[in-house]
Amino acid sequence: MSELPLQLGGVAPQPRWSLRLTAAATLAVLVIGLLAVKLAQLQVTDGSRLAAMAQANTIRHLVLEADRGIIYDRHGAPLVENSPVWSLVVVPAGLTPAARDRAEELVLLARLTGVAEEKLAAQLLNADPFAPATVKANLSQADELAINERLPELPGASIAQRSIRRYGEPMVFGHVLGYVGPIDPSQVKSLRAAGYQADEMVGKVGVEAGLEELLRGTDGWADVEVDARGQVKRVLETQAAVPGHAVYLSLDAALQRSTAASLAAGLARDHKTAGASVVIDPRTGEVLAMISLPAYDTNLFTRGISQADFSRLLNDPDKPLLNRAIAGQYAPGSTFKMVTATAGLQEGKITAETLLACPPYINVNGWIYHNWASYSLGRMNVARALATSCDTFFYQVASMVGDVTLARYARAYGFGTAKAIEMPGVTAGLVPDRIWKQLQCGVPDLNSDECRWSEGDTITFGIGQSYLLTTPLNQAVYVATLANGGHLLRPTLVHEVRDASGRVVQTQKAEVTSDVPASAGNIQSVREGMRQEINPPYHMNYWFRASGVPADGGGKTGTAQWGGSGLDLPTHAWFVFFAPYAQPEIALSVFVERGELSEVQAAPIGVDITKFYRDNLSSIRRQ
Amino acid sequence: MIRRLDRLQVVLAAMLASLGVMTVFSARADWQRQVVWVIAGAAIYVAATTFDYRRLRTVAPALYGGMMLMLVGVHLVGHTALGARRWLAVSGFPLEPSELSKLVLVVVLGAYLARTDRIGWRAFAGALGLAAAPACLVVTQPDLGTTLVLAAVTFGMLFLGGARPVQLGSVLTAAVVMVPSLPNLLRGYQQRRLEVFLNPSLDPLGAGYNLIQARIAVGSGGMFGRGWLHGMQGQLGFIPERATDFVFATFAEEFGLLGSLVLLTLFGTLLIRVLRSAGVASDRFGELLAGGVFAMILVQLLENVGMNIGLLPIAGIPLPLISYGGSATITTLAGLGIVQSVTVRRRRVVHEEPLPINGQESLLGTITRRAQA
Repeated sequence: MSELPLQLGGVAPQPRWSLRLTAAATLAVLVIGLLAVKLAQLQVTDGSRLAAMAQANTIRHLVLEADRGIIYDRHGAPLVENSPVWSLVVVPAGLTPAARDRAEELVLLARLTGVAEEKLAAQLLNADPFAPATVKANLSQADELAINERLPELPGASIAQRSIRRYGEPMVFGHVLGYVGPIDPSQVKSLRAAGYQADEMVGKVGVEAGLEELLRGTDGWADVEVDARGQVKRVLETQAAVPGHAVYLSLDAALQRSTAASLAAGLARDHKTAGASVVIDPRTGEVLAMISLPAYDTNLFTRGISQADFSRLLNDPDKPLLNRAIAGQYAPGSTFKMVTATAGLQEGKITAETLLACPPYINVNGWIYHNWASYSLGRMNVARALATSCDTFFYQVASMVGDVTLARYARAYGFGTAKAIEMPGVTAGLVPDRIWKQLQCGVPDLNSDECRWSEGDTITFGIGQSYLLTTPLNQAVYVATLANGGHLLRPTLVHEVRDASGRVVQTQKAEVTSDVPASAGNIQSVREGMRQEINPPYHMNYWFRASGVPADGGGKTGTAQWGGSGLDLPTHAWFVFFAPYAQPEIALSVFVERGELSEVQAAPIGVDITKFYRDNLSSIRRQ
Repeated sequence: MIRRLDRLQVVLAAMLASLGVMTVFSARADWQRQVVWVIAGAAIYVAATTFDYRRLRTVAPALYGGMMLMLVGVHLVGHTALGARRWLAVSGFPLEPSELSKLVLVVVLGAYLARTDRIGWRAFAGALGLAAAPACLVVTQPDLGTTLVLAAVTFGMLFLGGARPVQLGSVLTAAVVMVPSLPNLLRGYQQRRLEVFLNPSLDPLGAGYNLIQARIAVGSGGMFGRGWLHGMQGQLGFIPERATDFVFATFAEEFGLLGSLVLLTLFGTLLIRVLRSAGVASDRFGELLAGGVFAMILVQLLENVGMNIGLLPIAGIPLPLISYGGSATITTLAGLGIVQSVTVRRRRVVHEEPLPINGQESLLGTITRRAQA
């Protein structure tokens, strides 16, 4: 030990800074220096980075989901509601800090949610510790209550509420409304760019998809300060969500239900499984009812459909997912004859008074084309030809008019054009002509028999066969055009749109796409044929008498062959109708898939729909 | 006596204790209680200053016995918190004997080492034995932090007491040899802390969470700090143990680098003043007491600030005078009071010998160093 020198003299002693004391002092200075250097590095060099991390810890940007707009019928009856669903959300950093207590908390969470504990731990440990992670979505009400009760024991956990679409009558309104569902992985990128959250719901089919922009609303947001447990301490800035618009569809809920019931009953009567019907107001183009059967439960999709359910729907031979009203394409058959008649009259090939024979068949270049009757119906004018649906009469007219002109009139009536209605998936149908056939045939030699348009093609075109395709919606628009005297209307499903405060932001107005290039007199002659068909002495009148519905209107049946060419092909049954005759208020189409006899299978359904409309007329007219 | 007071030390201690109360207030701990403890500590400080430190040598064996009793008591009837038995309820107040043991060890080792002028192998072994007994009781609480402080105090006092380099070297060697076997000696949570210190991202929510959050807090303080009561990490509870073990992070976030340097400077100056007291001590006992208090404060400062800024593994050690807690505050103030007592009774240049304040000294037969010289 070093000898400490004795200090003498002076009033205050000088401390003896021995070697060891000096070493200790130096050590203290070094320790403090070391701490200071590390501090400077943390607070100055890394300061801004760590400050940003602190910011990220404490400031959370929350998205406030906008309520999706409600869809009503034209009278304001809600067709869908937003119902709350709960999910359990955990902020990992908010869990109990002590390892043992945290394990206990995870066990409790696992027990309450039924999620495996290992899965839970893995999910929470790999997640952003400060971002809320959804541990279990779509809690049942019972689970929600059970968890809510235990929340005080579950720091970091909370119950998040969001709303889900619930469709009241999916089997009646499902095909029109469609559904919302989780965003597809393929859509994520484009929708994120449009401001969607990855877990948001988006309209998939039907008007939910077609009116997505109106229904969606604008999400709000809030920047909040949260503490380590994820509790909001302070709202820094916020922007309220703007709910989506309320959409009043043109549908009349009662007529829709009745149409669905009529169609279902009609199909069942004849052991058919699929069909469609569209009812339009021929003055405005508003769709009053639109049914496609079979229907399916759209609610299955709102939470993400299970693979089993989806396979079942997809593999069902009756294709319930197909909205036949807009996307089913079928030959119109005899319902097309009004087009041929219009063309013949307007092109001067016939007049309303011209009489043509109605033989059991005609011979074109050695090919025989039959009428539905195996006997001659005698000479007749165009109205009677329509009323009796004489095929051979219209073969002759079609031959006189020619395929190109016939195609022009078909297009004028709206055939072959996709209707700009407010839902995706609308198909156009097909109006064929000789150029189309050549492009279609797939044989290199465009002059081969397969590719050349034949006279046979023309005359079968005249009775709505050949390659012609249409949809039930198209048919309704077509018959509406005949009903209103030749104005082709744009069909619409929207009656009115209101914002969240109830202010009307959009009212539907009738929109005439084009007019049929035919004189009023000629169109009247065609309508006369439709009037005759449903009146005595024709069989069709039976259904009106049986139902007690005045045969005041115009109708046409059609039994269209499909699946190739030949004599005994399967058929679809059609009925198109408008009423009343003088000032039509409804125009409708009925389609029975695989129907053999349109007069027996399709027409009664149309009469049923008309009956309901007439009996409840005042309820529609009030709007 | 007032004239001979180390007034700077009083001012430094008062400033640090005030900063402590401010930080404890900001950390939303029971600041009023902390004020009570500071006042109680101040009273003990005054009492210790007035009390002739040389009389402590008489009571040293009793203090030692009392300390051991309390430490054993903790094991038998102590309260458990945060996975360790550390607290004794003394007439309703939670008492942490391991905190008190730091200062008691200073007094006991001071008394023991002051018996001889030099530290022979027997004295050396004796000192280690005296320190080992409480250390074993503390480490099994388990309280690694306090054990570390006890070890540092022992080593510091041996060094300042003049232990031979070979003796000091053997202690250091033993420590170095023991480090590889440390993982086996450590409890699970201590091993975990060590692993996490080496790689905080191993467990960002558990042990690593504290480390990460403390670092973020300190760093986000920046140069000038976010201002008193405005630290986001601290105010919103992201800093764990924000009033005790991680009080420095709370302080550094709100007062920035500037404030932290001021705090370190205050500590540095205080430490130098304590060493200066050792330098002016009138006897070897006084010198050893001041040296022990110096080691006690220095190692706590190093470990506490070090773990707050990610320089050292986490061990539960309070920052003297700043951290919330009665036992620690009172222990530190009592220690500084004893140092003040040593300063007050320093060598007098006008007298060859320090005036014996009472007869106890000679009665005990202890020999002051200068008397021997």
